[in-house]
Amino acid sequence: MTAPRTTLALLLFAPLAFFAAFFVAPMVVVALSSITADDGALTAAHYARILLDQYHWDVLWVTFRIALLTTLICMLVGFPLAWYLVRIVRWRAWRRACVILIIVPLFTSNIVRSFGWMVLLGRTGLVNQGLMGLGLTERPIRFLGTETGILIGLVYILVPFVVLTVGNALAKIDTAYEEASADLGVGPARTFWFVTLPLTLPGAVSGAIMVFALAVSAYVTPALLSGGQITVFSMLIFQQYSSVFDFHYGAALSITLLVLTLVLVTVAGRIGEGRKPA
Amino acid sequence: MARIHGLVTASALALGAAIAPASAQEALHVAWYGGNWGDAFKACVADPFTKATGVTVVPEVGTSTVTLAKLQQQKDAPTIDVAWMDGGVSELADAAGVLEPITQAGVPNLANTVPQAVYKDDGGIYAVGTGYYSLGLTYNTQEIKEPPASWNDLWKPEYADAVTIPSPANSSGVPFLFFLHKIWNAPAGDFAPVFAKIKELKPALFFDSSGAASNAYQSGEAVIGAHFNVGAFDLIAKGLPIGFTVPKEGVWATDARLHLVKNAPRKELAQKFIDTALTPEASGCLAEKLFLGPSVKGVTVSAETARKLPWGEKGSVENLYLLNWAEVNAKRAELVDTWNREIARK
Repeated sequence: MTAPRTTLALLLFAPLAFFAAFFVAPMVVVALSSITADDGALTAAHYARILLDQYHWDVLWVTFRIALLTTLICMLVGFPLAWYLVRIVRWRAWRRACVILIIVPLFTSNIVRSFGWMVLLGRTGLVNQGLMGLGLTERPIRFLGTETGILIGLVYILVPFVVLTVGNALAKIDTAYEEASADLGVGPARTFWFVTLPLTLPGAVSGAIMVFALAVSAYVTPALLSGGQITVFSMLIFQQYSSVFDFHYGAALSITLLVLTLVLVTVAGRIGEGRKPA
Repeated sequence: MARIHGLVTASALALGAAIAPASAQEALHVAWYGGNWGDAFKACVADPFTKATGVTVVPEVGTSTVTLAKLQQQKDAPTIDVAWMDGGVSELADAAGVLEPITQAGVPNLANTVPQAVYKDDGGIYAVGTGYYSLGLTYNTQEIKEPPASWNDLWKPEYADAVTIPSPANSSGVPFLFFLHKIWNAPAGDFAPVFAKIKELKPALFFDSSGAASNAYQSGEAVIGAHFNVGAFDLIAKGLPIGFTVPKEGVWATDARLHLVKNAPRKELAQKFIDTALTPEASGCLAEKLFLGPSVKGVTVSAETARKLPWGEKGSVENLYLLNWAEVNAKRAELVDTWNREIARK
């Protein structure tokens, strides 16, 4: 019996070592530096500076508002897209092509894609040219430097996560449930609402949590599309590490964002679990 | 089971074999920046060094701040011998105690360097400049026919929503505030007038990275503003309608400096490397490739390159506004905080 145990230990060692070296260790370093002063003494001053200042709460509110809206829009766009791919497309090759189209942008870096949006959304960019050409607006609409611009960029980058998780959940649903519902005389809308939607909820919730966490922590997209005129929390963290060099305050900002995000995600997870069919 | 053990042992051996030759070989580890900067440092300094000594140079690519972080982490057992870091970070590295004094005896070419590029403190020379770059006035030549004469032109109503200046996340952001403070003769230590004026500016964007600035000029989002001479002339070389000018108030500039790492494992070679960087050939090569203003005396560059140097066509190091970094670093946190509260929110 000991032999398999040794095997197991050996097999587990690599991933555990990897996890400890590249995740736990840096996290501990950051957490420690957030509660120490320059001379190494323990202090809560960095947290007091953050939490007792209305400015930080304002920035947090902007950050979470953008992340929530991103998640909401991603769900509204991603769910129908997943539905189309799983339920409506009959031709396998086309479905495969669509999945590839959704996944391929993930292979390009966020920086490149955000630069692309800077060009598209600019005053003289394609979007404004189109809107003016169609006579929808006379003057170019300002997207860069607005929350709308940041939302467009984040939704574009994060929608694939919803499509993939919801699509997976939809594909696993046995259509017999829906047929049974129809046999019992329930209309398609009510079947969707009471049968299909609850069954996809676990997938939808995990997709939403993923999108929310990535949107809260996103740096490159908001930094580029905000044009430095809107501040989200990750930008404050970056500033402290890259130009102010106050690693203690920067670390405290990071941990604050992490803890608040975890709290929100846990709450969301609870809600998702609560509705899960028994 | 035995099979797995065998596999693990074999891969461990293979891994060991792969690592061993690299550590046994004598190679100089030099920290420098990425992109065209790293390419130029390699071509202008590392390749001639390798040719002369037969020692290969292993680049440790990172921005100045990342390099400083690495030096602090490996303080007790450094692997990096020589490090390039920008002005500002250089002073922080000195304060962090990760640098070894550079001496005339070890680096004879120090004698050929302009005095402004030799940085000393109580312990001796902690850094030496290898070339200046500036943040000048950059504009779209299709929209603006005459080169703008003053930084105050950025506030002209016709450029509303089409101006860009650096944000504090950029290394030039805080220094640029000091520069504005100086050209507007604001009262000593009081930045309120500077922030009040920036609040009146109608920007297209405040750029975080040099790349974001290039992108904005390229797409026409910005038609006038600040940009590094290195980035601006890169755009001009690509055929874009961009101009770079040194207005009457001058420009803020800084330099890329070389540092000898404290307890460098290969000190002799490290000194030789710094010496190579201070030859007129290396300095002229960096001017041609990156438009860095030479820090070595008597370097001649082509007329074409002279136009692109940080001090403009007819200037010299005297035309540059070089900051007292100790002052900047002392006020850094406060200015970034004020910027966040006053400027970077709607």
